[in-house]
Amino acid sequence: MTIKGDGVAIRRFGAHSSLAGKVSLILFAAVLVFAARAQGTPPAGTPPAGTPPQGGGLPPGFMESLKDYKFPDDISKFTGLDFLMLVRRTDIRSSFYKSDMTATITTVSVSPDRGTFVRKEQIYRRDKDDAFLMITLEPESRKGQGMLRVSNNMWRYDPTSRKFTHTTLKDTYENSTVRNNDFRRWQRSLDYTVESLTTGKLGKYDVIIGELKANNDEVPFPRIRMYIEKQRMIVLKVEEFSLSGKLLRTAYYTEYVQIGDSYVPTVQIFQDGLIPEKRSQVTYTNISTQPVPDYIFTKEYLERMSQ
Amino acid sequence: MQNMHIRLAARNLGRQPHRTLALGGAVAFSALVMSLIAGFVNGMDAAVQNNVTLYAGGHVQISGYTVSWSGRSQNRASGSEVLDLVRQVVPDVRSATTLVQTRATMVFGSRELQMTVRGIDWKEDQLYRTILILKEGNWDSAAISRPMVLSAQSVKRFGLALGDEVLVRMSTASGQQNVTEYRVVAIYDETAAGGLHAAFVRAEDLRADLNMKEHEWQSVAVFLGDGAQAPSGASILKRAMERQGLKLDGQSRTGAVAGSVSYRIATVQELAGEVGSALGAIRWIGYAVFALMLAVCATGIANSFRMVLLERTREIGMLRCIGFKKKDVFASFLSEGVLLAGGAALAGIVASIPLGLLLSLIPFDPHGDFGAALVKGHLLFMPSLVQMLIVLVCVTIAAILTVVMPARRAAAIAPADALRVTA
Repeated sequence: MTIKGDGVAIRRFGAHSSLAGKVSLILFAAVLVFAARAQGTPPAGTPPAGTPPQGGGLPPGFMESLKDYKFPDDISKFTGLDFLMLVRRTDIRSSFYKSDMTATITTVSVSPDRGTFVRKEQIYRRDKDDAFLMITLEPESRKGQGMLRVSNNMWRYDPTSRKFTHTTLKDTYENSTVRNNDFRRWQRSLDYTVESLTTGKLGKYDVIIGELKANNDEVPFPRIRMYIEKQRMIVLKVEEFSLSGKLLRTAYYTEYVQIGDSYVPTVQIFQDGLIPEKRSQVTYTNISTQPVPDYIFTKEYLERMSQ
Repeated sequence: MQNMHIRLAARNLGRQPHRTLALGGAVAFSALVMSLIAGFVNGMDAAVQNNVTLYAGGHVQISGYTVSWSGRSQNRASGSEVLDLVRQVVPDVRSATTLVQTRATMVFGSRELQMTVRGIDWKEDQLYRTILILKEGNWDSAAISRPMVLSAQSVKRFGLALGDEVLVRMSTASGQQNVTEYRVVAIYDETAAGGLHAAFVRAEDLRADLNMKEHEWQSVAVFLGDGAQAPSGASILKRAMERQGLKLDGQSRTGAVAGSVSYRIATVQELAGEVGSALGAIRWIGYAVFALMLAVCATGIANSFRMVLLERTREIGMLRCIGFKKKDVFASFLSEGVLLAGGAALAGIVASIPLGLLLSLIPFDPHGDFGAALVKGHLLFMPSLVQMLIVLVCVTIAAILTVVMPARRAAAIAPADALRVTA
């Protein structure tokens, strides 16, 4: 009886201990969640911290397929596949899949209607998730405005009205020749297929010129022409055409900086195809590849920084 | 006896013509201002609705959205199911047509301008041909490829002339960039269209530019015999569409599969909401002016009748001595007040009609803040009989209320005292 009684007592103690443990665990988990929220949780749909990179919509093998790819030595021998792989290499090399990226962007826009307009922004990019956050630093009148892209959603934030409005990668940036898409990682090799190839010279550089056609009807520019320098495997110029075949915009990538495995185009010039006097120059400075905390890519952070 | 009171009141009013004119003039002016405000607010209301109907392309609009291969919603739909349903269930439909339109950037030289480009049936359309007054050119441009009709202001801003070619940059229904050319064949007077600035092109040209198929459309535009019936027409249509199993916005679109279509119904009243709220402010200002004018009327009448009481104390005493009762004195005072205020208010209301029509001839800037509340650059004066009767009744009631006190005092005077005081 005693043993039984003790046994009951022990079992009961054990049950209490288990319940207390579960409650403690739940409380601990709740504390963790609130602590994380206090720092700004990612918006709905954002992978929680610590989740392995999802590839931000990249197809399997996107990176690996290039590892053993052998490009022809002679640029006149490039095939469509070779060129597409070259485009893929420029996509990967201009992006930061192994680290985050932070930089200061200065955009100078010139337009016959509006004159010259200068903006300075801080950008945070996480290319593996195709996420970025941009906060305006200058001019004073636009300070605190921002743009956030997470999980295929994109918002523009206005600190005056304190409202987020949906925007898309296709939208133009502040009515200039820059598009929101230009601040994102490059992924032309996913959106286009090669139609034809030629070789030529761009200034002093030998280039391969590829005519590419969009492989779906939701890519903003149905056709593009890319000028890639063979030696360094970097994009020097891209012409973007409308559905009717009219030149809409020419992008020049005039300066590159090598950071680790990446080649970042630090000076980008975008010239309007219809109004040649309308152009913009985007300059990247203070580039850093230090890890960026998860809470940066949240609406809460953008709101907080805008105050 | 009642007749005698009115005759006495009329005679009394004629005894002091200057005072009657001054007081009557003040009351008439107040009634005139009230009627003018009511008439012009009605006109602005109607103008806003008409202009928004023009901007939107109809009293009721049903937009179609198709889910693309990537899960994105594209403003395009096809088939005649919705159009047939509109014709079957919505009462008093004047016209129901499919519409294609887009926000585009027009480029000419180094200038660019954002505007709505609307595709219309070039041959069959009667609506825009009737509404738009062409300053130059004409609609009969069958031989010209890709014609465009532009507003005079846009043409002026661009420095364009008939026959010039403009570039139009737009996004296709799926979001691709496209640039095409159009030739200006006619220029319309935007002031005559409530400040409308859309560019009109052939529907088939715009459909091709938007990379849409021949049978595809973006919305169905419905014009009703009476625009005020748009909300009821829309709710009838909504119920009919739900019965047919057509998806409407607001219904869950979770798991929408590629190719599935949903619709959104909007009425001109909803679209006019923002301008309507501005008009609401004007209406409240009108009510405030109305109340102020009424107070001014009442004060004027009350003061005048106090003076009348002082002047006529002896006369009242004499009338009482020859057999006038208290209620007769009271009634004659009240009749005088009602006759004066009612007559003056009626005169003011009647005068407001020609004055309102004259004021509506003054041209205003149709591009200004209230451009949408103008008709052909002018304020519209729409007097309403009910509102005029309300003004008349309100002024008369105000007169009665203010005359009651002096009339009661006049009736309360003892005849002997009245004769002694004034003797």
